[in-house]
Amino acid sequence: MKILLMGHPNVGKSVFFNRLTGAKVFESNYPGTTVDFMKGWMRLEREDVELIDVPGAFSLEPKDRAEEVAVKMLEENRDSVVVCVLDASKVERGLYLALEIIERGYPVVVALNMWDVAEDKNIRIDVEKLERILGVPVVPTIAISGEGFKELVSKIKDAAPVKIEKIIESVGAVSAAASTGEAQAQGGGESAAVS
Amino acid sequence: MKRKLKEVVKVPLSVDERWDLIEKISKQTVEFGAYKHTLKDAIAELTVKPLTGIPVAIAVIYGFWSFFCDFAGTLFTDGFMVKIFDEHWLPWLQSFFLGGLGNPFYALMVDAGHIEDGVLVASDNCFEAFGVLTSGLFIVFGVVLWAVLAFYLIFAILEDIGYLPRLAVLVDTVLHKIGLHGYAIVPTFLSLGCNVPGVTATRPLETRKQRFMMMTLLAIFVPCGAQIGIMQELVPELMGWIFLTLAIGYLGFGFILNKIVLGKSPELIMDVPPYQMPTLRNIGRKLWIRTSRFLLVAVPFVLLGSIIVGLMYLTGAMDWLAAVFGPLLMVWFGVPSETVAPLIAGFLRKDLAVGVLGGLMAQGIMTTFQVFTSVVLLCIYFPCLATFALMLKEENWKEILGSFASLVAMVFVYGGLIHLIGIMLGVA
Repeated sequence: MKILLMGHPNVGKSVFFNRLTGAKVFESNYPGTTVDFMKGWMRLEREDVELIDVPGAFSLEPKDRAEEVAVKMLEENRDSVVVCVLDASKVERGLYLALEIIERGYPVVVALNMWDVAEDKNIRIDVEKLERILGVPVVPTIAISGEGFKELVSKIKDAAPVKIEKIIESVGAVSAAASTGEAQAQGGGESAAVS
Repeated sequence: MKRKLKEVVKVPLSVDERWDLIEKISKQTVEFGAYKHTLKDAIAELTVKPLTGIPVAIAVIYGFWSFFCDFAGTLFTDGFMVKIFDEHWLPWLQSFFLGGLGNPFYALMVDAGHIEDGVLVASDNCFEAFGVLTSGLFIVFGVVLWAVLAFYLIFAILEDIGYLPRLAVLVDTVLHKIGLHGYAIVPTFLSLGCNVPGVTATRPLETRKQRFMMMTLLAIFVPCGAQIGIMQELVPELMGWIFLTLAIGYLGFGFILNKIVLGKSPELIMDVPPYQMPTLRNIGRKLWIRTSRFLLVAVPFVLLGSIIVGLMYLTGAMDWLAAVFGPLLMVWFGVPSETVAPLIAGFLRKDLAVGVLGGLMAQGIMTTFQVFTSVVLLCIYFPCLATFALMLKEENWKEILGSFASLVAMVFVYGGLIHLIGIMLGVA
């Protein structure tokens, strides 16, 4: 098993990589720091697992060299778990890539990184509900300070492939439940902010 | 009722279907509260809006430059290193090293000496001595190391704060005129440290045209930190003119390349990340990685290069080359035939090349304008070996040939133009 770190440019993949492997990868506050992939080893359940820092990609239809490398990495490592790092303040954009990876049949763990930035922007994400809809583990993280990493690592083993039909179905189901539940609970208290 | 939802789903989804699904998901899970305008936002806006952003950019670059000169040049190189190398290291080696003045091995390792009134005399500084253990070590550890350290320190801070993408937004309009995107500022800035990571940073550019242009311009017009450090030590009074000449070349030839290279320069949409407080840990680590990488490449290349140049002088190969290329150099570029030596060294490393030039200057055979022309020529005539090797890896042979052809054309046109302007001003 291998673990691939994927996500948009500048969402903090390299910070994840450094935290998880103790390796030396450049972290910079601008997109495109990692244009080549990087490999390292991390401890998972008393086993050494290979972790690959994949260059930032917006989607799996490559538009530049970095994205080409990203797609190639994904295709060459069919047996891997993908940790998809999302910018929590721009969830929708990140979900596009996450869904594409899920559709291709990879087990995925979603990290909602920059959770603090999202909080600053007054964006609240219902992590549990997102987890229920996607059917994959979702963990809020703040990579720079290391928050959420323990949980993230512990959830890697829970990742399993999900059929996209299932997600479409559960979105419908949740929305149906919400519309009935909202009348009772007035939809309040849903946004359990985790930090 | 649930049955109805189970329509047939085709995998993979189309782009629209996927966005549709995302919208549904986010409606369920994400709540956007009222947007607060924070201090961070205010600062972010001030640095991007042209009216306030341009003065801020000028201040940042000026601050960068001042720190670079004061920390690297004045404090470390002039304050400590020149004294250590010229007053202690050189005399100490001269006093005990085997051979003595006139011996070929001594000349190669310590001091080649120079002719004064027909007599071979010992050198009194490490630029002039031109031995592996004197000039070679002085270039790397006396001058360039501090320049690189100072550059990467400031660069890492700017990087981690998130200032670079804002600078990219500011210069976007100008760079679009030459077919590049504001993002080009990132590879350009990186190249001011070392051209090698600069070339790597061209990968996010979308079309072959943009990458080709960017690489060619970087390799030709952007001097690396090592080179800048040693130029600043050697000809501080000319730095303004040198940078101006290079910047004009960068923009001017970018404009021409954009017109003649086939292909498109599409808009590149870049995220402007939020400002962040840099962490000491990350700055320290980056500084360490980059500086150690620099030393790993620089030390062997500079030492090897000074051996090669030394041997070429000793065997007379340099005189032969000077005789062959001298007329071209003198007539077209207006520089003395001896300039062939730094140009040879420049194939290996640019800092070494400027160092060799320093040795020539010390002999007093060049006018100020010739020094200026030579320094500019050293920047533009060829990328150093490490950059060239990387370009070979990055591009196919066709593009390399194209790069090379434009390089040769630019060197002759621009070098000749500088000479011509010099003649018209009456300084050449």
